[in-house]
Amino acid sequence: MLKPGEPVIQELSADSYQFSKTDYQKMRMKKMKKSPRGIALVWRRVLPLAFLLLLQIPLLVFAQQKIIKGHIVNESGQPVEGVSVIIKGTTKGTSTDLNGNFSIDAGASPVLVISSVGYTGQELAIGKKDNISVRLINNNKDLGEVVVVGYGTQKKKDVTGSVVSVNEAALREVPVANLQGALQGRAAGLEVQTVGSTPGAGAQIRIRGIRSISGSNDPLLVLDGIPYEGSLNDINPDDVASVDVLKDASATAIYGSRGANGVIIVSTKRGRSGETHVSYNGYYGIGTPSFKYPVFNGTEYRAMRDISPWAQGYLAEEQSNIAKGKETNWQDVMYQNSHKTDNNISVSGGSNGNSFSLGGGYYKETALLPGQDFTRYSLRATVDSKVGKRIKVGINTLNTVGITKGSQFVFPMFPILSLSPYRSPYDSAGNLVKAPVGDNDDKQTQYNPAFLKNNNNNWVDKVRRLRTFNSVYGEYEIITGLKYRINLGLNYTQEEDDQFKGSDDAANPSYFRPNLGNTAYVNNAEAWGYTAENLLTYDKTIGKHRLNFTGLYSIQEYHTHNTSIAKDSITDNFSQFYALGLSSPTPAPVVGGGETSWSLLSYMARINYAFNDRFLATLTGRADGSSRLAPGHKWHYYPAVSAGWNIGNESFMKGFSAISSLKLRAGFGQTSNQSINPYQSLGLVNNNNGIASPANTIRYNYGPTVVTGYNVVTLPNPNLDWEYTKTINLGIDFALLKSRITGSIEWYKSTTDKILYAVNLPVTSGVAGAYQTNIGKMQNWGMEFTISTVNVQSKSGFNWSTDLNLFFNKNKLLALSNGISKNIGSQLYVGYSMTSIYDYKNQGVWQKDEAVQAATYGSLPGQIKLEDYSSANGKPDGAISADYDRYVLGNSDAKLQGGMTNRFSYKGFDLSIVAYARFGGLLVSQVHQSNSSYLTVMDGKRNGVKVDYWTPTNASNWFPEPQATVSPVSTAWTTLGYYDASFIKIRSVNFGYTFSGASLKRLRAQSVRLYFTVDNIGYLYSPYKKQTGIAPEGTNIGNSGVSDPGNIRAGTNGVITISASTPPTRNFIVGANITL
Amino acid sequence: MRSKFKILTTTVLVATAALVMVKCNKKLIEHPYTVFTPEYFKSPTGLQSGVNSLYSGLRWDYGPEGAVGITQDGTDEFTYADQPRTGAGGTQDYITLGNYTLDASNGAILTPWNRNYNNINLANAIVNFAPGVAMDTITKTGLVAQARFLRGLYYLLLVEQFGAVPLDLGSGDLLFNQNPYQGFNRLPLADVLVKDYKAMIDDFTYASQNLPDQRPAGAFKAAKAAAFLMLARTYIFRGYSVAKQPGDFAAAYAASTQVINNQAKYGVTLQADYGDVIKEGNDYNTEILFSVERIPGDLNNNEELSGSIGGSKGIDAANDFTPDYTSVKSPTTAGTTPAATRTVLYGRPIRRFCPTPWLFNTAFADKINDSRFDNSFRMVWLATQAGGGFAVGDTAFVLAKTKAYADSINTQPVVKYRAIAPGEMYVIGGTFANNIYPGLKKYEDSKKIIPNDPGGRPFPVAKFSELYLLAAEAAMADGHPADAVPLLNIIRERAAYRAGLSAPVLAARKAAMDITVAQINLDFILDERTRELCGESLRWPDLAVRNKLVERVKLYNPDGAAKIDAHHNVRPIPQSQLDNTADLNKTQYQNPGY
Repeated sequence: MLKPGEPVIQELSADSYQFSKTDYQKMRMKKMKKSPRGIALVWRRVLPLAFLLLLQIPLLVFAQQKIIKGHIVNESGQPVEGVSVIIKGTTKGTSTDLNGNFSIDAGASPVLVISSVGYTGQELAIGKKDNISVRLINNNKDLGEVVVVGYGTQKKKDVTGSVVSVNEAALREVPVANLQGALQGRAAGLEVQTVGSTPGAGAQIRIRGIRSISGSNDPLLVLDGIPYEGSLNDINPDDVASVDVLKDASATAIYGSRGANGVIIVSTKRGRSGETHVSYNGYYGIGTPSFKYPVFNGTEYRAMRDISPWAQGYLAEEQSNIAKGKETNWQDVMYQNSHKTDNNISVSGGSNGNSFSLGGGYYKETALLPGQDFTRYSLRATVDSKVGKRIKVGINTLNTVGITKGSQFVFPMFPILSLSPYRSPYDSAGNLVKAPVGDNDDKQTQYNPAFLKNNNNNWVDKVRRLRTFNSVYGEYEIITGLKYRINLGLNYTQEEDDQFKGSDDAANPSYFRPNLGNTAYVNNAEAWGYTAENLLTYDKTIGKHRLNFTGLYSIQEYHTHNTSIAKDSITDNFSQFYALGLSSPTPAPVVGGGETSWSLLSYMARINYAFNDRFLATLTGRADGSSRLAPGHKWHYYPAVSAGWNIGNESFMKGFSAISSLKLRAGFGQTSNQSINPYQSLGLVNNNNGIASPANTIRYNYGPTVVTGYNVVTLPNPNLDWEYTKTINLGIDFALLKSRITGSIEWYKSTTDKILYAVNLPVTSGVAGAYQTNIGKMQNWGMEFTISTVNVQSKSGFNWSTDLNLFFNKNKLLALSNGISKNIGSQLYVGYSMTSIYDYKNQGVWQKDEAVQAATYGSLPGQIKLEDYSSANGKPDGAISADYDRYVLGNSDAKLQGGMTNRFSYKGFDLSIVAYARFGGLLVSQVHQSNSSYLTVMDGKRNGVKVDYWTPTNASNWFPEPQATVSPVSTAWTTLGYYDASFIKIRSVNFGYTFSGASLKRLRAQSVRLYFTVDNIGYLYSPYKKQTGIAPEGTNIGNSGVSDPGNIRAGTNGVITISASTPPTRNFIVGANITL
Repeated sequence: MRSKFKILTTTVLVATAALVMVKCNKKLIEHPYTVFTPEYFKSPTGLQSGVNSLYSGLRWDYGPEGAVGITQDGTDEFTYADQPRTGAGGTQDYITLGNYTLDASNGAILTPWNRNYNNINLANAIVNFAPGVAMDTITKTGLVAQARFLRGLYYLLLVEQFGAVPLDLGSGDLLFNQNPYQGFNRLPLADVLVKDYKAMIDDFTYASQNLPDQRPAGAFKAAKAAAFLMLARTYIFRGYSVAKQPGDFAAAYAASTQVINNQAKYGVTLQADYGDVIKEGNDYNTEILFSVERIPGDLNNNEELSGSIGGSKGIDAANDFTPDYTSVKSPTTAGTTPAATRTVLYGRPIRRFCPTPWLFNTAFADKINDSRFDNSFRMVWLATQAGGGFAVGDTAFVLAKTKAYADSINTQPVVKYRAIAPGEMYVIGGTFANNIYPGLKKYEDSKKIIPNDPGGRPFPVAKFSELYLLAAEAAMADGHPADAVPLLNIIRERAAYRAGLSAPVLAARKAAMDITVAQINLDFILDERTRELCGESLRWPDLAVRNKLVERVKLYNPDGAAKIDAHHNVRPIPQSQLDNTADLNKTQYQNPGY
């Protein structure tokens, strides 16, 4: 509470105020009816409003009237929804709508008490004003905050597990296509790494490292309380109100068999009672390449080609261009500006306990290369309604259509980087040259990439997804404090993948089908599922004892099915993929399909207990029954316990005024990982030969009679079980200097056993595929530091605040089966991280003065120099052997990573800078693994990435001399691809201005903010980029090259690699947030 | 109104809850629609599907680049050509195979290693499960006989490259393995090799007794003649090995003459013209006992990818032997390149393998009386594009068998094309300047879709003519070489045939081809095998199992001569196999010297 005499208002402008912090939050929480557990995020906003409206509005009629209108924005000037506005000393109040506006009958000379989750509470004496504008100070680590903890919400101060929240404002600071991008660097313990650079490409999310070798390490996603299967691309980030991340087992045990990888709970916006408002959020941006690949220029290319083994001379055109000094920069020929636009309109309002929110969005992003784009249309509607005093019902429907173009075919980065700079895209008449390759081998199969600039019915590469995600709930308060609630989630996804490659002819060369006829492919896939949850919650406070019980019974079922057809020889290109029957009967179509179904039954119970707001305890138990496990092994039980001590509330802390609050937390629990695919325990016999589509079916012919064949692909395993992870978590939450500094420190250690592991059996076992089994043990431990500070909060109105998170995770494989310490085939090394890089150590290049020593290894100067590490007797033996000279060189885990956001505001202006950094670890650059990318192979017939290679006159220690054999060891080329992965990246700079006062009135708007953003600004630090000129962030998982280095684990748990993909885009964006 | 709604809502809530609370543990039982289990092979259709897979799996062993590489590269017949020599396109495996610097990570040796055991295990399943399958006995026996023929062949392809290989995949010798077995049962090497040969001979013997007498006219299902050929080949291989048994060569002689003496019964005959044996469109002729089948031009059914090299089940051999015809200039080095456009027939000049000087100069020293050189190698290319005085279809250039012939062409002013003398040919002439050499044309396929496609014709695995050579070799090794003379002369006289020759000329040529018993020795047999079977994915094992590899490579293959030694008679066990084997002492499994 404010002390008498303390100035409560800092005047910013005629009608805009800034407030100092108060601890009003506590008071608000006391006054508010406690949020029942088992209710999604929305209740923390709806409840007070509904409550207040229902009880208070009739009284207001008799009060002395003074209507005050106000507009509440955050530090970046964006309107804040759901802010509680209460007249001090009364129970009268309201809350702001979607656009940050409120209106209240305040009586004479009132003091307004303003509070909202994530912001420091404020008091404001209104005086004679009737129209005010308030800027809230972001304080999202305030212990008074409410967080979603799964099957309910909890006050942050009561939370005993490890939970981190990312609020709406933070999600908006980087304009991105999907949530993964928005979350990168925003929360400690949450690692987001890119795995592609095409529009709509996803990213890999890991919470506190990885626990599974061959199963999924993806966290469980929960959308509005319902477990969400599938792509985050289907969610419009603008619809998201907040993201809460559950990290430790005591928090995730309520999700039992799916909790081990952490849980991300996404809550979407809901309606709010009050005047109906329309708002618009949108932006438009132009993108340019954030870097270009460094390739040899003409002179450098010739120097390389002339000493390479390539004996064929220059083509006539090359000779002519050399004479003229005419060079083509193929990157300049092909890159175009990209465009990105996002437009969202929403309408929301409500009254008498009923509220609604409707929204529509349109997002489109094009790419640096022609033919690639991503479009998403979204529609949502939410209705919450109160029926009498004891019943609440609501529905939420989220619908999106996403269209991704250019994600299925191989777009032409390879030719762009490898075409001779002395060939030209256009001939003297200005027509496109058909095959401007220097190398005859490529001529048949590699046309001019510039053909992509005009589709001309030459190709269709489109993935269209329709997703509708609906949740309905009903809640009945049986007696005071005891509630029954049912949640029903209904989820349907339909995806159509369309591919068409037009036939090649002289008049209309077909980039994707050189010298070939046309081909088309259509895949239709559907997925549907439902979740039904029955929840019983009971809240009771007896004296200093607070008790909350949550009980759950739920069932979830999920089903997928797809059918695909590939057909060649379509009669005419015009029909594309639409009517595959309009085609020659031969060759026969290739037809495919598949089906999976699974179900999960669960019982869960949780007890939260608090004594005197000082001692807190949570007990959780869950039982999961899963269809995926073999009979007799289907049910498992997951216990967790955690406790907290709010030291700050102890009387002995009263003397430490610098400490606003302090809490210790400890938790322990067991969870598992639902990473067994349906039917995996059954073994598998099928007719897939492992070759790429459309040649992927085992076929044979006896004369003209074609038959199919079946073979054993995987072995049955009736003992297949989950992976179990036990986690201990210790945490401290603190708030200092009247909450100007808030933060937390976490330490955790988790041990996973019965690890699911696809053993690469020796092929002599007779089974070609890997064998999925439970062996091994893995450990992760790490620490996380989160701190938010209000650095400057000056009377002049200048504010500067910082959010910083830093974390690290140490992964270690503790054991494999049968006492094996290394399994090279699966890249598993006991005692080392799962991302270990096991290879020869590259010591540079054999120099001329080392010729004698090189010869003892069968090498010549100019070849790769590998380390003679050891031998059978444990010492270097003068020979390079696969058994003794390969070892774990390092791993691709970051030693420390994190994100920092700085926010500045002054009057109407706001500025935020978002940074992301990783330190330590090795990255795998397949661009530099010559036989993978062919861009550093320097065989002379193609151009490539500019590396410093050895010549007799250039004693480089980086790349070997261009030659046929770069080492007598056949896999030595893989060692050229390991680099320091560290970087510091400025993700975005966002500068905005919020209109106020007269200008706002002129615009007849409630609020208007305009902003300018630049993203992917660059790297302040990156050894890899400095050396190679290429961005140090991943573009793929696992091997993406022509030759497999053999030490990159296949599948989704492989090392993240960098291949020659389209450069990331740097966008220059202008945007507006308008509320009418 | 309000309360009615309330009652309604309450009712709906309670009803829904009751519905969902129904005990539904049966929801947890899986009902897959798309997953077969190994039980499938206990059904009649399962047995047939399994046998189909066994045939299909052989496509990996006959045609793809790795399979061609390990059987042709580094022999007296062929060495590596331009692309491996310059290290282009990830071809290092073919340099190291050819110059005998290969290590255990060589990719080409993985082709049989990674593909065959899976099919061997499937064959085990068929053989083990068949007795319990209710179906008519004749069909069942036929399926088992095919499975055993194919299993024997899969083993033969491994043993001839690697030596001893496991019969026990984890569940016991020749038993279907369903255990996730991480061991590697190839020790002790000598004992396992004895068991390997016995198993192959048992399989081929069973097949030669239980397969149909004749194969279908237009298809290559295994039949007795093919089984006898494999039986003869296996006996001969064992006869040269450390696992040899008394009577191996006699048994080989018996098996091969069984077919030679009963041709009508087994439905086999020699073609009159050697050129017809390998002629496109005549792929199902009666001289071919067994081919691995494909359908020309049908990529999907052939399990091959358009334009790919390696990695699919197409016939890379159709391109692997192709020289760089597209870069040859006519009439002189300053001329144009009249064959610069690739054609489907000529294929993609992928330039993996080229003939050795020995093949051109010695094995085929006689290119006149013996038609087999001309019938095996392309020496003439027609113009594939117009320009420089050439119309499409004009002779673009020829490879001359002698310098004199080349000179006679090149000095005639009326001839616009160019003749390339042997001394100018790649490797053969000791030169790398001209990227051109005689191209093996046995796998040329005019029905490919584009020039870069792998071939799609049936790939001969067992030819009747080889039975004559095996019989002759067995007779010689068994101590009655006189019996070999007529057998060899039948093959050699047939080779004299060329269409259009007059009877006297043909008779004279046949006489010139005849040999006497004094000429017969193992080297002669091997020379004759080259002439008859050149490039047919047989040569490396032919030399290695007869312990002639080191000697003949040192003599006839300049690229391989320097590094080859006795340990190269078998390939290294692939590193990936050792990496995946759960045994700390991995080196004990490796073949000596690697």
